Amino acid sequence: MALTDQSTAAKPELLTINMGPQHPSTHGVLRLELVLDGEIVVHCRPVIGYLHTGIEKTFESKTYVQGVVLTDRTDYLNSLGNNLAYALSIEALMGCEIPARATVLRVLLAEFTRLASHLMFIGAMALDLGASSPFLYCWREREKILDFFERMSGARMMTSFIRPGGLVRDLDASILADMSAFIDAMPAYVDSYEDLLTGNPIFRERTEGVGVLTGDDALALGVSGPILRASRVAFDVRKANPYCGYETYDFEIPTGTVGDCYDRYLVRVAEMRETVRICRQALDKLPDGPVQTADRKVMPPPREELARSMEAVIHHFKLWTEGIRPPVGEAYVGVESPRGELGFYVVSDGSGRPIRVHERAPSFANLQALPRIIEGGAMADVVACMATMDPIMGEVDR
Amino acid sequence: MAVSDTLQAVFESGEVSLPADGIPTVRVPLAELLEAVEQVRGALGHSRFVDLTAVDRLTSEDRFELVYLFYSLEAHTWLRLKARTDHAAPSITPLVPGANWYEREVFDLFGLDFQGHPNLKRLMLPDDWQGHPLRRTEPLGSEPVDFTVTRKMYGTD
Amino acid sequence: MTSGSADSKSGAPGFVLSRLEDWARESSIWPVTFGLACCAIEMMAAGASRFDMARFGSELFRASPRQADLMIVAGRVSQKMAPVLREVYDQMAEPKWVIAMGDCASCSGVFNNYALIQGVDKIVPVDVYVPGCPPTPDALLDSLIKLKQRIALDSRNARHGARTGAGLGIVHTEPSGPNAH
Repeated sequence: MALTDQSTAAKPELLTINMGPQHPSTHGVLRLELVLDGEIVVHCRPVIGYLHTGIEKTFESKTYVQGVVLTDRTDYLNSLGNNLAYALSIEALMGCEIPARATVLRVLLAEFTRLASHLMFIGAMALDLGASSPFLYCWREREKILDFFERMSGARMMTSFIRPGGLVRDLDASILADMSAFIDAMPAYVDSYEDLLTGNPIFRERTEGVGVLTGDDALALGVSGPILRASRVAFDVRKANPYCGYETYDFEIPTGTVGDCYDRYLVRVAEMRETVRICRQALDKLPDGPVQTADRKVMPPPREELARSMEAVIHHFKLWTEGIRPPVGEAYVGVESPRGELGFYVVSDGSGRPIRVHERAPSFANLQALPRIIEGGAMADVVACMATMDPIMGEVDR
Repeated sequence: MAVSDTLQAVFESGEVSLPADGIPTVRVPLAELLEAVEQVRGALGHSRFVDLTAVDRLTSEDRFELVYLFYSLEAHTWLRLKARTDHAAPSITPLVPGANWYEREVFDLFGLDFQGHPNLKRLMLPDDWQGHPLRRTEPLGSEPVDFTVTRKMYGTD
Repeated sequence: MTSGSADSKSGAPGFVLSRLEDWARESSIWPVTFGLACCAIEMMAAGASRFDMARFGSELFRASPRQADLMIVAGRVSQKMAPVLREVYDQMAEPKWVIAMGDCASCSGVFNNYALIQGVDKIVPVDVYVPGCPPTPDALLDSLIKLKQRIALDSRNARHGARTGAGLGIVHTEPSGPNAH
C-alpha cells in the first residue's frame, strides 16, 4: 500500500482501522480499511464483495423474462430504471417497436424512481451527518411514491413492471390523477428539504470543500452521473444519447462548481426539480393506446385472442415454454440511473436463455473514486464522502 | 457505413461489425490490444472508459472474449473493442485507472490473468475461494429446493 | 436482574419478578443495524414515520451489537459476509433474538446459487422468518409483534430453544458450513 511522506520517521505512528462491513453509515455492506495519521486519512482501501449474489451467473440459467426479476434487485433503489435498461437491451436485440403510451409511461416511471432514489439519498445523507428530521420528511414523500408502485403493480419496491416489449399492464386513470397531484405538490416539498439543509451552517461546514473530485480525475476513474456532473462535466445519457423519447422533453442538466460533497448534494436536489418537470411533461403528453408491443414473439397475445386465433395459441405456447428468443448477437443500451450510466450487456446465442448478461453498474465505477476523495481528508469527513458517493452495494457486488 | 470504413482503416487486422445496438465493434488480436486501446482513446476520441467484461464463448481455442466499451464525450457515441484470449491479457489499468476493479472482477470470476495490473486479487469472492464461477463450465451451485414432494423423491424424509 | 435459571425464582415475588423481566425485555427490543440489501430499505421504512417501529419498543437501532438484543438480518448473506454475520451475532449479549427478514435471509430467495448462504439459519439460530421480497414494513412489524408475544410468554426460554431446547418448539440449530466458527 502506498504511504505518503507523512509516514516518515517524524510521525511513524499510523493507525489502521477497519470500518464496516457492518456499520450504520456505510450505505450497505461496504468495508473501508483506513490508515490514519492522527485524524487524517492517509490511505483508504475499499473492500467489496460482501453482497456478491452471483446475479450475472443466475441470469444464464433463467429465461429473458425471468431475468427481469433479477434486475430489480441489483440497484434496489432504481428498480424500474434497471428493468428499463434491461428491457431496452433486449428490445434492441430483437428489433422490437414499443408503442407510444408505453414509452411515455416508462419515462414517467423511471423518473419517479429517480425521485424516490434521490429522496432516499437526501434522507440517508442527512442521517449520516447526524440530522434525523430530513430522513423522516423525505421518507414521507417516498412512501407516497411507493404507494403508487404498489397500486399499479402490487409490490412497493421490486415491481418488475417494465418488461421487454412494454409494461406489464396499463396504469389506470386514478393512479395517473394521483401521480399528477403528487407531482404538482413536489416542488414545495423539495423547498422544505432545502430549508432544512441547504443553508444550514452545520451541514455546509461538513460538506463544503470536503471530498473534492476534479472532472479529469472523475473521467479517468470512470465516474458518471451526479458525481461527474458535480465535478463540472455536463454529461447525462438522457441528453447525450436519448432513449425512450427523452429528446422531446424539456429539462436541464444541473452541474456543480467545485466538485465537493456540497455540490454533489446540490446537483441531486436540482435533479429532483428537473425530474418533476419531466414527469409533468410526461403526464401532460401521455397518449392513449396499448402498453405492450404487438410483436407476438416478444409479448404474449391477450387472453381473448386465444379463443379466436390458432396462431395466438402457438405464440402463447412458445412464449410460456421457451420464452422469448432473441437472435444471435449482443446489445448494450446505456441509460441514466440516479447513480450514473447504467446498461445491461446482453449476449444471446439464439436460445431462450442468455449466455451472458453483464450489468454496467454505475456505483461500481463511482466507488473507485472514493479513495481519491477520502485520502488526505479528516476521518470525520469519511462519512460525508461516502454518503455523497451514494453507492448501492447491490449493484457494486451483483 | 462510414464509421465501419474508418474503423477498418485504423485497425487493419481487426474485424469490424455493427451489432443490433448500433455500437461499432472492433475485434483485434490480443497482441495489439494495448495499442488499440490507445488509438480508441486518442485518435478516435473515445476517451471515456465505460465497461470491461468477459464472455465465455466455450470454444476450444481463445475461449474468453474480452469486451471493452469506450465512449466519446464529443461525438456522444460508444465504441466496443474485443479481444479473444485463453487465460491472460495485458492490463489496461496503467492507461485507464478506471479499469482497475473491472479487471480484478474478470480475474475473480473468470480466472483471466491481467499482466501489469497493480493489484490483481479477488474482488467479489472471499480471498480463499476456489474456482471461477462465471465460467460456463462451472455449475451454478444451486441446492435442491426442499419441498415435501422432493423429500419423498430424494429420500431426504 | 439476577442471573441463573428460571427455577431460582420461586413463589409470588419470583413470579412477579420474572413477569417483570419478560415485560421489560419484550417492550424495548433494540435491533442492531444489520441491513444488507433491499430488505434494509424496507426495514428503514419500518423505522420511518409512517410505520414507526419505535411505538413497538424498538426506539432505535444500535450500531454496536453489544448494545442490541435483536438482529434483523435484512437482506442476502453472501459467502464473504457469513463470518461477519456470525461474529456480530456472537458479540450480542444474551438474551438475543434473530429475525430472518425476507426471502433471502430465510432461504436465499430468488438466488439459489453459489454466492449466497442458502438461508441464514445455517449460521445463526432464527426465531422468526418473515416472507416477502422485500417484506412490506407491515410484515416486519407483524414479525416483531409475534416475537414480542413469544418473549412476553417466557423470555428466558423463548430465545431460540435456549440451552434446554425447551420453550416454544424452536430448534436450536448449530452453525454449519465452511464459514461457521
